Amino acid sequence: MVNASKRVAIAGVGYSEIGRRLPHSDDELVRQAVTAALDDAGMTTSDIDGIGTSGGVALSIGQLLGMMPLNWFFTSTQIGPAFSETAVMTISAVASGVCHTALAIRLIRQAGGGRPSLEAMAAMTGPPDGPRRVGGDQQWTAPFGGSMPATFLGGLQMQRYMSEFGVTQEQFGVHATIQREHAARNPDALLRDPLTLDEYLASRFVSKPVRLLDCDYPCDAVSCVIFTTAERARDLRKPPVLVEAWAMAGVSDLDMTLLDDFTANSVAPCSEALWSRTDLRPSDVDTAHLYDGFSVICFEWLEHLGFCGRGEAGAFVEEGKTRLGGSLPLNTDGGACNVGRRHGANFCIEAARQLRGEAGPRQVPGAEVSVWSNASGAFAGAALLTTDR
Amino acid sequence: MDEPSADVNEHVLYPPMPAPDELSAFFWDGIARHELLVMRCTSCGWLLHPPKGSCPRCLSTSLAVTDLSGRASLVTWSQPMQSHEPYFQARVPFVFATVNLVEQEPLRFATNLVDCDEDALRIDLPLVVTFRDVAPGCTLPLFRPA
Repeated sequence: MVNASKRVAIAGVGYSEIGRRLPHSDDELVRQAVTAALDDAGMTTSDIDGIGTSGGVALSIGQLLGMMPLNWFFTSTQIGPAFSETAVMTISAVASGVCHTALAIRLIRQAGGGRPSLEAMAAMTGPPDGPRRVGGDQQWTAPFGGSMPATFLGGLQMQRYMSEFGVTQEQFGVHATIQREHAARNPDALLRDPLTLDEYLASRFVSKPVRLLDCDYPCDAVSCVIFTTAERARDLRKPPVLVEAWAMAGVSDLDMTLLDDFTANSVAPCSEALWSRTDLRPSDVDTAHLYDGFSVICFEWLEHLGFCGRGEAGAFVEEGKTRLGGSLPLNTDGGACNVGRRHGANFCIEAARQLRGEAGPRQVPGAEVSVWSNASGAFAGAALLTTDR
Repeated sequence: MDEPSADVNEHVLYPPMPAPDELSAFFWDGIARHELLVMRCTSCGWLLHPPKGSCPRCLSTSLAVTDLSGRASLVTWSQPMQSHEPYFQARVPFVFATVNLVEQEPLRFATNLVDCDEDALRIDLPLVVTFRDVAPGCTLPLFRPA
């Protein structure tokens, strides 16, 4: 039997053109992102033997890009933990030896987020001006007006978190201004204008206590990360970024209104699993890239990954620790609130760029260990990356 | 986030109404009679919501319907300020909430809070079910402060 436990590395990263309601097809955006990642790695399509994707279909992407035959392919149901699900699957596939070099792709368009839009669901069940019925999981939520993610995910978690721990809207506001400061140093960010605390506090509520500026910014984006073995990565264009540990956790089905624990949810068991697989400790981490689909999720990750205690993320942020120059620079690309909803992929890609020393005016000097995470609520995923030390 | 349509149709009376299925029909039939019912595992006593075909604790398929007191406590809540649904857009802000029914921890239930001040909302606020006819042929189990 062949040894089936290989060291995994990131060989290349890339984005498509990213923006609001782009005129390109899904296929074109996928082509752009994969081409960028291959170029980053110094690879060609013939080097790829695996594809994992969240958005689109893995075999169709393989056919589209002339990558057949594939030794491994995975298509997310798109209701899993966004990019992290695909990334964890892809890392696991390369580690197992079932394939040697695989793409992890997240394709997301501005409307719908991979699920049918509410308008589309309404069209399926009847006209809005008469009796219409909603079945399945939605029958427990939709009749009460809880179908918006800012309500059933962001709102329920943020309210519970603020009520349980006394974290304030001002502390969330400071977090938003720091992330915007980072975005100003990132030419790829979509929102780069300076943001003040007063502007945050004046921004409208989407679903109280969630403000517009607590939400990630919807956009069209395809992101691609190429995972390969450490051995292969060392012969490529860029210095390898090694995957030290990876983890995922699920705590419920998709009805995030009925979680047993709204502030620990899937983030706690995912964090615990991640640290159980490495000798590194939170104090070893130089940069953090933590999902902020809603800003409360970023606070949950800070706490459960062990960078501060439960309920202490607000103070941690206020003390300036998450700023560039602080003890734990956080979301140095600006986070999804500013670079757009790339659904987790930007955190992995920015971590890799920091560890390669490619982050330009937002580079954290000497960064050797980075953590990235994605999702919250029903499911979550995370990975710890290092330089090739 | 897209802006909701400005021309809300004030004639709309209907929220998205539940479409009962084989598993959930007993629940919605009970609501129509102003009874709050859930499944109870006859093997281990676990209470299930939403209804399933088997008990997640012991995997028994021996399930019976049981009546609840309707008393609950507040777990968390959010106040939508916009909605794609004309029914709800005409009612913003309203309170969408997760409550826990007192018979078991956890026994979570999604609902709306009514007859309460925003300032009074807090974790563990005691609540009681109230059955409201929100549209012709549509009764929903909402909760109000006990």
